[in-house]
Amino acid sequence: MKTEPVLEIKELDVAYHTLTDTVVALKGVSLSVAKNEALGIIGESGCGKSTLFYAIMDYLPVSSSRSGEILFKGEDLVVKTPKQMTKFRGSKIAMVYQNPYSSLNPSLTIGFQLEEVSMFHHGMSRKEARQAAVETLSDLHLGDAAGIVRRYPHQISGGMQQRICIAMALLCKPDLMILDEPTTALDVTTEAVILDIIKELKDKYNMSLIYISHDIGVVNKVSDRIAVMYRGEVVEFGNQNTIYKKPEHPYTRALINCMPRAGVLKENTQLNTIPGYVSRRSAAETGCPFVARCEKRNATCEEKYGMVERKPDHFSACDRAYATDIPDKVLSKEAGSIPEGAEPEHKTILKIDNLYKYYGPHGKRIRALDGVDLTLDRNNVLGVVGESGCGKSTMGHTISGLMRPTRGKIIFDGTNISVSWRKRSPETLRDIQLIFQNPGRSLNPSFTIENIIGRPMLKLLGIKSKQKRRKLIVDILKKVDLGEEYLFRRPKQLSGGEMQRAAVARAFSIAPNLLVCDEPTSALDASVQASVLNLLVDLQKDSGAAYIFISHDLNVINYLSDYIMVMYLGRICEYGKKTEVGGSPRHPYTEALLSAVPDVDPSLKRGEIRLHGAPPNPTKKIKGCPFAGRCHRKVGSVCDTTPPPRVNFSDTHFAYCHISPEVLNSEISVKGIKK
Amino acid sequence: MNTYLLQLKRSPRAIAGLAILLIWIFAAIAGPSLLSYSYTEMDMNNQMVAPGQEGHLLGTDALGRDVFSRIIYGSRSILTIALLTSLLSSIAGIIIGFTAGYFGGIVDTIFLRIMDILMAIPPLVLAMVVLGILGNSTIVGLTIIVSIAFTPATARVARGALLTCKSTEYVDAARIRGESHIYIMFVEILPNTIGPVIVEITARFAYSIMMIASLGFLGVGLQPPTPDWGMMVIENKSLIRAAPWTVLYPSLAIASLVIAISLFSDFVSKVMINED
Amino acid sequence: MEFLKRFAKRLGFTLLTILAMSVLIFFLVEIMPGDVAQTVLGQSATEESVAALRDRMGLDDPLHERYLRWAGGFIRGDLGESLYMRGVQINTIFWRKVGHSVVLALTALLFYVPLSILFGVFAGVKEGKAPDAIISFVGLATMALPEFVSGIILITVFAVGLEILPIASIIPIGENLWQNLDILVLPALSITFVMFGYVSRMQRSSMVSVMKADYIRAAILKGMPRKYVIFRHALKNALLPTITIIGMNMGWLFGGLIVVETLFGFPGLGSLTMSAIKTRDIPLIEACVLFITFIFVFATFTTDMLYAFLNPRIRYKRGDA
Repeated sequence: MKTEPVLEIKELDVAYHTLTDTVVALKGVSLSVAKNEALGIIGESGCGKSTLFYAIMDYLPVSSSRSGEILFKGEDLVVKTPKQMTKFRGSKIAMVYQNPYSSLNPSLTIGFQLEEVSMFHHGMSRKEARQAAVETLSDLHLGDAAGIVRRYPHQISGGMQQRICIAMALLCKPDLMILDEPTTALDVTTEAVILDIIKELKDKYNMSLIYISHDIGVVNKVSDRIAVMYRGEVVEFGNQNTIYKKPEHPYTRALINCMPRAGVLKENTQLNTIPGYVSRRSAAETGCPFVARCEKRNATCEEKYGMVERKPDHFSACDRAYATDIPDKVLSKEAGSIPEGAEPEHKTILKIDNLYKYYGPHGKRIRALDGVDLTLDRNNVLGVVGESGCGKSTMGHTISGLMRPTRGKIIFDGTNISVSWRKRSPETLRDIQLIFQNPGRSLNPSFTIENIIGRPMLKLLGIKSKQKRRKLIVDILKKVDLGEEYLFRRPKQLSGGEMQRAAVARAFSIAPNLLVCDEPTSALDASVQASVLNLLVDLQKDSGAAYIFISHDLNVINYLSDYIMVMYLGRICEYGKKTEVGGSPRHPYTEALLSAVPDVDPSLKRGEIRLHGAPPNPTKKIKGCPFAGRCHRKVGSVCDTTPPPRVNFSDTHFAYCHISPEVLNSEISVKGIKK
Repeated sequence: MNTYLLQLKRSPRAIAGLAILLIWIFAAIAGPSLLSYSYTEMDMNNQMVAPGQEGHLLGTDALGRDVFSRIIYGSRSILTIALLTSLLSSIAGIIIGFTAGYFGGIVDTIFLRIMDILMAIPPLVLAMVVLGILGNSTIVGLTIIVSIAFTPATARVARGALLTCKSTEYVDAARIRGESHIYIMFVEILPNTIGPVIVEITARFAYSIMMIASLGFLGVGLQPPTPDWGMMVIENKSLIRAAPWTVLYPSLAIASLVIAISLFSDFVSKVMINED
Repeated sequence: MEFLKRFAKRLGFTLLTILAMSVLIFFLVEIMPGDVAQTVLGQSATEESVAALRDRMGLDDPLHERYLRWAGGFIRGDLGESLYMRGVQINTIFWRKVGHSVVLALTALLFYVPLSILFGVFAGVKEGKAPDAIISFVGLATMALPEFVSGIILITVFAVGLEILPIASIIPIGENLWQNLDILVLPALSITFVMFGYVSRMQRSSMVSVMKADYIRAAILKGMPRKYVIFRHALKNALLPTITIIGMNMGWLFGGLIVVETLFGFPGLGSLTMSAIKTRDIPLIEACVLFITFIFVFATFTTDMLYAFLNPRIRYKRGDA
């Protein structure tokens, strides 16, 4: 596939200037994209991947400087005037953004926003432009294209909005399409559909793609080659299989090992973490961008090593990934880390019985929880997974007392706690702790870490002495890898990972028996996520507390859980041990979810089940199975009219489905991962 | 705190505003003892003396009273009342707005409706009618009535500030460890709304000056012989051709004070809001 | 459908506000200290004449009956009789003055709305540059000035200094407002001063935030020219909050009218209100204040509907895709 590159970037530097100093955002970036090639760019936040795309489009803030060459089909974009750039933007190079809703103008119709592109770039009349818009929309498998153009952005679903944005980028049949995290805001099954469409269109129109994402799994699905960025530099560049299997740069290797992925479970592996944090880069710095955090660094790393083609088509800025002078960190845990003799106690700590939670006014009630049953034993981690709106967070909040259930019972340690926090005893409040998704919002910015962690100790444990509290706080801070010096810091002075560890410390400072984690790592970068997950696993083992771990990310759930519960629209679809749900899923929705999961390992092949449409309106009462409308294995009208029966596969594994148990048991081949 | 000073250094407008404000505060506190004329002293031989003559820096009015002295004395009452009203209405606003916003539901709905209704009368008209009917305004009466007229607006601001904090998870965290409502409202939330609250107090300070001056101008403010800038303008309005200084200087006094406060409050709002 | 529902709801609430306001105003004014009849007749009046007036005014009836009588009169269009100008029906003087004030308010609107939107948008587009700094400063300064201060400054310049406009807004007997349009200019400009600052600053900040929106970035990176993006993509979204601001400030404007009309002696609702208060003419105060409230409530209602109509997010409900 060696053809003239569509885009070739040579030694691109970008710096942002503030009043007092200069921050290097991109340094010596060289990349190329061939015709009909998809280049994936991965990196954690702050690595410069978005700056790269703004630099290509000449959309940098005024206080920035750009140098180097950006050759687009031989023309250097760096020297173009803003006026000349409008000829390229949207016409030859088109963009798709992370948040489709905010990228569409709320006060203009979708049709108008599509038409103007063809009118400007191709000089079409409005009528011709409308025709072109409708045609392009049908490329994206949007049923009622003529109807959609008359709508406003807020009237359609997020998945549809993103398709509109892709259609908008496609209108002028660009040579290059840049996609900046286009599926990050979407649910995983919608993401899978969008990624399929992107791949299909790329080949249909012979386009080149640059796909930017923090998620290597997603990038794997569309890209041929992958560039890994760190602190403004491309540190490694090669095809997706070599990047995963034979990474040359220590950062790439460390990053991949941070990610929960297929086959990596808490029982056998500890996730890798990268010590330190990403710091801003000053102009004076010369060496490898990763040097400060690299375990394999040596004296030569302080000077720039430079990008070298190490193997055919595989470039790296380092050769020390497999260096032997420093051995690799041992990642696998000793087998049988759960002591064989001590059979886990089967003491039930939480029992939920037919739980309902409705929100909103009469007539427009949202049925967030629609009859959920559940038991959880001590020492167990229950992973709750499902897409947005499935009720998983509502369940967590109901258990922790933030809201009162509409109907049903929550029995905790023998006490009925189906009430809100105000009516709970201090013991219950202490016993059940909640960890939130966004640590920046869950720690009060006005208080010091000492106050934040100390308050529950005072309030719920009644430790009146400040000295005593301080001693305990320092102990717990050590457990979460934060030093004594953090006592007097405020949340704003902490990084995201440090904040979340402080939040974990607050929860554990009063020795809870049940910890509800509501997407605790979703806002964090992969390397930071790994450290928080490790911490949660260790603390769980030490304390014997039970966890309810809520996440949309099946890889994370699979890593951390003992049991998995799959939810859809307020109801349970499937429940079972991790090996049962993850290894042999029975419910059609679980199948679809599993086959949509992006894999870190590009050689894994999953099923091809794609869900279409959107979940039904949560304010409508559903008579039958909530998944019936999108189910690829729908039995018949019985699915719409009768609630699905519970089908047991083992003592611990069950699903709610109309498909006969024999069929569910036999057709395992289409599901899960095929090697 | 240092960062605020640093930002202040970079903002000449804010420095100018603050300087003028400080001059007026100094004038109000120390000015009267330094003056050679009292504000009530009438000199029938020196009526409508032009500025700079006969030792009258800003001239005299129709009754021969020294305009400069009257302006300096007038700064006392207007600054006192404005400061008190901005504080009082902000405190009342915080209490009412926080209560409504925090408890939400029916309490909030009733609050919003009442505020909508109260806001239907412009504060100036409300204060004017009440003061006009009651007659003989005193500093206390004026302060209370202007504060009441401002409270719907401040309560709305406070409620808005609370609502942005109320939905955060640290409030949820406080709830599920069993904190009381008062604790959550005033210990967890209040410190985080301090930015908007300070912005509101400084902006309210400028509004108060405008309002008090306008009430004085309409003749329902402080009663003679207490010098009042607004009143000085309306008293001498007919002299605008014959002795323009009697009208213009009190007007400029008001203008300089309000603009100074506005410049400073503009800076405060920029600093406080950009902080997050 | 959504729009009609909103319309009905808001209309109902508007009427409710007016009702509540009328109660409030009535009781506020009626509980004023001292005997109304005594006040009207003066200290020298005999007890008999005071009693007779009390009887004639119905002051001895229970409060709610008096309220119903008063409100009923209002609904029928009968504003009652002035206390100060004995025997004069308020209707005969009220509406002419209201007419004058409405003309004045509209003139001011005509001045400041286009002016402040224009400069606000311009400053917003040029955020952080010199034009922005100048416009923002002017806005800040004019907004801070009470109407009578800007009025005095305007009089000093245009009437005393340049002598091109009248110092007071007096309509000579036998003429009407249309023959004396020049008297509108200075009062309208005084209001414009205050309103310009307020509206242009709001317009600027909404323009600034819209220009930072993702959809503006998307439009620019679609290759749309900058001017087109500003006018076609940004302006409509940036104008929406301004509409609300202008509507909400109609009350402020009428409050300002009292000051401006008093300064210029303009024969409108504001100076009428002022003299009613000075003479403690209770029925007239009630009529004036209720009317000001009515204007405010009506303006809020209209802008709210306009906002809803112009904003597709309210006009069209989110449909199932």
